[in-house]
Amino acid sequence: MTRAETLLAYVAEHHPRSVRGIEEARAVDPAAWDAVAEQFLGWAEGVWGPTGWQARCIDAFMRFSNDVIMSQARYEADGHYENSSFAECNEHVYSQRDVMDDYLWGVFITNFCWSHHMELSLFFRDRFLARLPGAPAIVEIAPGHGGWGVWALSNRPDARLQGFDISPSSIAIASSIAKAAGVSERVTYTQRNALDLATMPAASADAVICSFLIEHLEDPGLLVANIANLMKPGARGYLAGALTAAQVDHIYLFKRESELVALCEAHGLRVTETLSVSPKRTLPKAKYLPRSMGLILERRDLRQV
Amino acid sequence: MTTLEKLADVLRDVFEDDDLVVTRTTSAREIAAWDSVMHVTLMISVERAFGLRFKSGNVAGLKNVGELADLVDRLKAGG
Repeated sequence: MTRAETLLAYVAEHHPRSVRGIEEARAVDPAAWDAVAEQFLGWAEGVWGPTGWQARCIDAFMRFSNDVIMSQARYEADGHYENSSFAECNEHVYSQRDVMDDYLWGVFITNFCWSHHMELSLFFRDRFLARLPGAPAIVEIAPGHGGWGVWALSNRPDARLQGFDISPSSIAIASSIAKAAGVSERVTYTQRNALDLATMPAASADAVICSFLIEHLEDPGLLVANIANLMKPGARGYLAGALTAAQVDHIYLFKRESELVALCEAHGLRVTETLSVSPKRTLPKAKYLPRSMGLILERRDLRQV
Repeated sequence: MTTLEKLADVLRDVFEDDDLVVTRTTSAREIAAWDSVMHVTLMISVERAFGLRFKSGNVAGLKNVGELADLVDRLKAGG
């Protein structure tokens, strides 16, 4: 039995309410889903062992997914996100090691077990990873679980990656996944606030990855400015964000895709491609469509006005 | 009206099935429409019906209506 098959059997036995959602994710592209699930779960197995990853990762995914849908229901009722400051999120989430560990493993599994995130993962693979320059120096801002960057390193044996995250849980989990994937020697993770990266050498990265940080910030413009500053001329960036999609630690409410595009353009970036995706099912009578959006970025040079 | 009887009314309303038979062992395995999204919809409806507010972590792992009834009773008792 493959790990993907093990996951499906485990969900059917222990979490029957979630079978439909995972079937929807696989239906996006069954062959690709099998491959991505096998790769990600292989890393999870490398961390947790052949019998430990199911309960640790899949149960965390179920809790995380339930949290997200509950937050969306509260947002539907209230019209605003639950928290509005980094300090609140830091107190309730980021500084709580147990909460963060569960949260990060849950997010890790969403990459292929939420249908819209499966779509976004394929966009990341096909439109960003596949088109990086040779021997790229990659910077990953807020790697979280580390899966995106480790995926990049696994696909590109000539790449190196520096990752910066404020959370010690992130550093620990991302490092453990990198080790399980056999890419440890090409990655360094440092505990550091993503908004302090302005002190890093400008134009030092061939590629920048920043997945699902921007909606966690009070001032998303500062993050985009840092991304633009890090990118060499000709570098590519990948930015992902959430729109009208609540989560306990989402604080900046993006309502339209154009807001993310305009923010990037205002900080000297050109948005070459975008993909906006939403879940196959929403809450009954929902007013807001939760979306995740990926943007491929280039630095705008002086000839492009 | 017992907690289970009141919950049964909520389930019939949420799943739009007046003939739904609800017992303590009723679970998502018997109700095809009870997926992850409808689970949260059900929990929000239960909150409204009983005047409670769940913590998400308390409802993610509920296995059946009996466990939900026990949770409601605990919260009503201030637990």
